[in-house]
This record gives sequence, structure tokens and C-alpha cells, in this order.
Amino acid sequence: MPKVKKKRVGFVIDMTPLVDITFLLLTFFMFTAKFKSEAEAEQKFFIERPLASADTSKLPEQDLAIVKIAFLDSTKKDTSYYYEMTNEDDWKAVKSGVEGLTPEQMQNAQLQVSIETLEALIKRTYIVNSETSMAIDADKSIRFKWVSEAMDVLSKNRFTKFNYVTKKR
Amino acid sequence: MAGGGSLGGGGRSKRGKSSKRKSKKRVGFVLDMTPLVDITFLLLTFFMFTTTMATPQVMEMKVPPEIDVPVEVKESELLSILVDKDGDLFYFRGQGEAEELKMKDLRNLAIKENLNQINRLIIVLKVSDDSEYGTVVQVLDELNLAEAGIVDEMRVKRNQPTFERSRKFTIADLTEDDMAKIATLKPQTGGSQ
Repeated sequence: MPKVKKKRVGFVIDMTPLVDITFLLLTFFMFTAKFKSEAEAEQKFFIERPLASADTSKLPEQDLAIVKIAFLDSTKKDTSYYYEMTNEDDWKAVKSGVEGLTPEQMQNAQLQVSIETLEALIKRTYIVNSETSMAIDADKSIRFKWVSEAMDVLSKNRFTKFNYVTKKR
Repeated sequence: MAGGGSLGGGGRSKRGKSSKRKSKKRVGFVLDMTPLVDITFLLLTFFMFTTTMATPQVMEMKVPPEIDVPVEVKESELLSILVDKDGDLFYFRGQGEAEELKMKDLRNLAIKENLNQINRLIIVLKVSDDSEYGTVVQVLDELNLAEAGIVDEMRVKRNQPTFERSRKFTIADLTEDDMAKIATLKPQTGGSQ
């Protein structure tokens, strides 16, 4: 038996099932792929999110405004607020309603802000779209003072319900 | 990348063509799928590596709206959980004496206290400005996990399929009075300073 087959040099493999499954996977990944948003691309810092296990809801994608609180560098000395919104039209409207933003800041998708500017932005956000869902995305080793101040600003401006962005344990 | 692909494809297709010419009589035909597979695999790996499957999850938080009218609550219905600057936990009922609390006991405490005063207990989380945000989230997580336990226990206790749970919770700053209360419970840190 093996002697007869040995004469053949080339061989043909039926690739059809391989192509089938590859295309299936390809389409799956193409449809589920989510690319980095503009704001994330601009982001220079990394947020180590706190771990939580109880809540399993996902971060909403529509009309979301995120207050990010992160360390400016790896020494973990300076902390700053960042603000971004997923709805671009709303974001433009909010930015144009707030005074004191530089032309460069008007272009950015993510703003590094002081607590005063953050308050102005959040106030404006409620006027532009009161349905906006708020999220606080802070580094887990940040001092709670920063989060608590952001929470005060949110509740003062009628955003009494918001989300903490966490990582699944 | 593109050069390699075209090279391989070209070589194979030549062979395909020559064999096709020889046997023109054949009804079926063989399509060389190799370049197709090449490019598909390339795209597949690209998408596989660029997708971020793990979307961050969230923990919902509700704070009471700012109102100037003070709300009166019964002292007996109040459970304060304190988080100090070192991330240590303490608790006291009403205006009582503070006691130390470990993170792993927190869930049981929350369940036990809630069962005593079902749907009436108010948990006040008092957090020091200098504590870490991660610790606070951990405490909130434990309290969230306790909710499931409370509902389960109540269903068994009352022998009802459902149980209406209303949760009373608030977050506040750690005051000077609270700090004084826990100061005696922390002899090590107090002595070293």
C-alpha cells in the first residue's frame, strides 16, 4: 500500500472548510471590533481601575460623559481631571457654551480640566442633554478627595445617578 | 507583506493554469484558494489582535440630591462605616462606640444589621479624604454583594418567593468627631507619630 502512493510528489488539500471557518471568524471579528475612540487615542495616561465583582452591567456607549481622574505621570504625585463625551454633537455644544477654552482645547476630544472648568462643563452638559449618563473613571490608588469632589460637582448639577468604571475581579 | 503575498499567489496560479489547459475536457474546475486563505488569515489575525473584548464594567452609584432641609433619622437605624486614611475600616451604630472591622467581615455585618431592621437601616459610609479610591470601591462592592445575601435570607425567613428591598445608603465625609472616635482604636499609628 505505501509503495504505490510514494510515487506522487505533490498533493492537494481541500481548503474549502478552512476557508469557510476562517471567513466565519473574520466576519465575526470584523463586526465585533471596536476601535479606539478619538479621546482614547489622545489619552497619555493609564488608569488602573479598581476591582469589583458585584455589578456586571456594562458601560453604556450612547450619550456617555466620562470624568477621568488620573495621575499625570508615573511618580503619582500630580493628579488631574479629564472630561470627555461620546456624543460628538453634544460635546461640541457643551464646549462652545463654556468660556475660557483655548482654540486648541476646542479641537481636543479629551480635555484636561481644573475642578472649576469641570463644574462648568458638567453644568453645560445637563443643559445640552439631561439624558447623558455620567461615569467616573478613576485610578484605584488615587486619593478619595478627588473622587469626592467630582461627586459633589455631579450631585450639585443634578447628576445624582452615575457609574464608577471598574474592572471585573 | 504585499510582495510576499503576490509572489506566492503568482507561482501557484501558473501551475493551476497549466493544468487547466491540459485537461480542457473536464467539467469541474479547481480554484486555487491559497491567496484567498492568505489574505483572509492576515485580516483575521489583524482583527483578532486589535479587538478589545473586555469592555469595562460599571458600578452604579446614586447620591441624594442636594437639599438644604435636614432629614431626621432615628439613631437606632443608623450604621456608620468609616474608612480612614490608611484604609482601615471601623463601624458604629447610631452614636455608639466605634469598633474595628475587617474587609472580609463587612459583608456579614451588612447582612446581619439589615436583617435586624429590614428596609429601615441606613448605612452611612464615611470616607477620609486621604483614603484610596480603590478601598472605597471595595467597600461598595462588599455592600453590593451583601444585597443578594439580604434578599436571600429574607425570602427564607418570610417564606415568600419575592422580597421587596429598598436600600438606604449614603456617602459622607469623615468628620473630626469620627476621627477622634477611632483614634483610640489605632494605638500603633498614634504612638509612632
